[in-house]
Amino acid sequence: MKKYDVVIAGGGAVGAACAYFLSRDTDLKIALIDLKKPGNASRASAGGLWAIGESVGLGCGVIFFKTLSKLHSEAQGKEVPVMRPHQLPDCFFEFALTSNNMYPALHQEMLEKHDVDFKFERTGLKFIMYNEEDRLYAEQITQGIPHLADQVRWLDAEQLKKEEPYVTDDAIGAIDFICDHQVNPYRLVDAYLEGARQNGVSLYLNTEVTSVIRNGNVVEGVKTSDEVFFCDTLINASGAWANELYQQATGRTMPVYPVKGQIVLSERMPKIMNGCISTSDCYIAQKDNGEILIGSSTEEKGFDTTNSLDKIQELSQGAMKCLPILKESSIKRCWAGLRPGTPDELPILGPVEGVEGYLNACGHFRTGILTSAITGQLMTELIMGKTPSLDLTPFSVERFEEAEQKAG
Amino acid sequence: MTSQTHDKVVIVGGGPAGTAAAAELACHGLKSVIIDEAPKLGGVIYRGPLRKTDSLPHLDDNLKRAMTALQTRYQAHRESIEVKTQTRVLGPEGSNQLLLSDDSGLSRQPYGHLILATGCHERSVPFPGWQLPGVMLLGGVQLQLKSGLVRPGQRMALVGTGPLLPLVACQLHKAGVDVVGVYEASPFAKLAKEAVALLNKPKLTLSGMSMMSYLKKHKIPFKYGWGIVSAQGEEQLSSIHVAPYDSQWRPQRDLAEQVAVDAIGVGYGFVARTQLAMLLGLEHTYSKVSGYVPALDEWHQSQNHSAFVVGDSNGLLGADAAICEGQLAALRLAWQCGKITESELFSRATKVNNKLARIKKFRFGFDRFSDRQPGLLSLAQPQTVVCRCEQVRKEQLDEAIAQGVKDITSLKMRTRIGMGDCQGKTCSSYALDYLHQAGLTENIGVIKPRFPLDPIPFTLME
Repeated sequence: MKKYDVVIAGGGAVGAACAYFLSRDTDLKIALIDLKKPGNASRASAGGLWAIGESVGLGCGVIFFKTLSKLHSEAQGKEVPVMRPHQLPDCFFEFALTSNNMYPALHQEMLEKHDVDFKFERTGLKFIMYNEEDRLYAEQITQGIPHLADQVRWLDAEQLKKEEPYVTDDAIGAIDFICDHQVNPYRLVDAYLEGARQNGVSLYLNTEVTSVIRNGNVVEGVKTSDEVFFCDTLINASGAWANELYQQATGRTMPVYPVKGQIVLSERMPKIMNGCISTSDCYIAQKDNGEILIGSSTEEKGFDTTNSLDKIQELSQGAMKCLPILKESSIKRCWAGLRPGTPDELPILGPVEGVEGYLNACGHFRTGILTSAITGQLMTELIMGKTPSLDLTPFSVERFEEAEQKAG
Repeated sequence: MTSQTHDKVVIVGGGPAGTAAAAELACHGLKSVIIDEAPKLGGVIYRGPLRKTDSLPHLDDNLKRAMTALQTRYQAHRESIEVKTQTRVLGPEGSNQLLLSDDSGLSRQPYGHLILATGCHERSVPFPGWQLPGVMLLGGVQLQLKSGLVRPGQRMALVGTGPLLPLVACQLHKAGVDVVGVYEASPFAKLAKEAVALLNKPKLTLSGMSMMSYLKKHKIPFKYGWGIVSAQGEEQLSSIHVAPYDSQWRPQRDLAEQVAVDAIGVGYGFVARTQLAMLLGLEHTYSKVSGYVPALDEWHQSQNHSAFVVGDSNGLLGADAAICEGQLAALRLAWQCGKITESELFSRATKVNNKLARIKKFRFGFDRFSDRQPGLLSLAQPQTVVCRCEQVRKEQLDEAIAQGVKDITSLKMRTRIGMGDCQGKTCSSYALDYLHQAGLTENIGVIKPRFPLDPIPFTLME
């Protein structure tokens, strides 16, 4: 039997960030329990810190929105809806931007204190426009975020050519979000874990939480296949699998479900991109070792993580259209990850009414890497009994219960 | 129409196992498709020269007989066997198709039943200098001789363990290479202990002895209990250091000798080639000799996915066993398809199994003789690159393990080992052995292959 102050279930970006911030800012006794399953989203991710991009529906969001529009139009027959920027609510902007602002300092801190480098790269995120429709789309985006005007840069065809010489001549320009950057997602998770380990967190990797120990409305710990972990607080950071743990902890269900994303990776190439790119077909990022990562499909296929030719073709075609030089390269490998999706695309954070000793840190959908830092900080504040630095009300799990009651 | 394609048995790999399976299926009226990446059937072992040649002075009669036997086996049933050569399997596509690539692009191959006969690849053993041009793996040396019809070097040494060492030494010598030494890691005494096991295949043992006497006659030194320490050279291999190995195969460096060579063959074993089986989701178990191998029943059929895996891709037993396994899988499939009765299945299978049992006893004798010892892992120095694609050095593995890495996926994420173009085929067996040596044996996992199994040009996606 083991007794900890905090047990974190899940060692992806979010769980690892919780472990790091808690161990940095408190003297609590902490354990992190993680089992690698096919589809772990943090390891599958592109590592984009696209705070504005994702909030306004670029990056993964544009593919997600296109998929939604398509499903919508198919469901409604011939009536094709106009594709409009898909902007998340203000609370998410604040959440994402606050987290984004933490990375430069976090990067330094990890390098200096823990000797780990998660490869933070200042890249910007450019939305490439091919035609007037794209320009209208981009204009709608900027109109929606007047308060962030200083973070948006318009590039005409000539400027774009100068900054991204390998982008197709067919591009008429781009908008660049200058605060959107990238990290190496594996290294980020690794950095959090290594930092946490150095700060005294017990890491139980390759260990599966099999059940939650509950006493009335109090969560008292978890069981793994061969051990029992008692704790004062259990943090549920189990990604696409979070609902399972939630059910055991609370006896209720919450809408967190796997959203599959397939990724295409090129061979190493010389540096052909100066920044990250989003188009209405895909997003493209060149990583520090030269590989070019193209993402990502948005599919609801349960826990399936197989690759399929149709999606790989779509993504590759989108990328070749934008960067014709890719035609001289090869696809090295593909994979699929499972994002923890929620119906309103917002994460589920914080305590659950009527349940003690339990916190949600899940449902981060397509922005877990970006928002891991702020999630780690907020969870630490909650556990220390402080008022969270951001209002967690919009992220509470109760929003779904209320919605259900209203619907019911 | 669809039922016809779905009835088809798709065999991946046209070596001894795959070809034997196809021929056996044909005997029972089942049609099959063999997919092979080479331009010719036969697998690495029996493919033979890839261009026309009048004579093969360096290839022994046994090999020529085996090559002919395999060709005969195929020719007798060629109407039932469709062969797709120079075709690569990139991975599964959907639930009952494979995605293929060849000169004309991508295509899908539907299957009703699947037999994987994907063979094995060589086990890499990193040591200082192993990346120098001229340092080759033993099977590669043999392929240059047998398929490329080129001499891999002028002045060569062979290091490693097992029966391939004397065989390749003889082949090299017959091809006109100056073989300056053969270094077998295990002591002779250990081989002598296996005499009883080796007598299960008296002909093979005899042929092994005749190889040894050939080497003796031509004054080619064959040293037991010796092995590689390092390789040197500026841009190309110019010499190696070899030394006596202790019982753990740790080199006694103070007794090392320098040997001038321009090429060497390194053969410390093979690893089952299971990338496709893993991508298909078959369960695997670890074997020290063969690496991760699929979990199969006595007919070589997997529980999940019900694919058959035969030949070296389900454990290293060599070509003769591969033929038997191909036949067993085909018989079982013929029975499952209602082509033979249960009594026919068992009477035919008993004969094949008896033969297989003799081969196994012989083979296990050699496995015990060539049992890989931990000293081999100490050849690599801190600066030695262990993952060639990603240039990961041994000291990076040490650092990661010291920081608490306990499994191969974490090791991969932390060091990029296995993340290169070869997807870990070269380095993962070293990494696994290394984790084992560090006392990590449970749940260490495996470097999972990714789709596609070989890089494919973006243009194929247009």
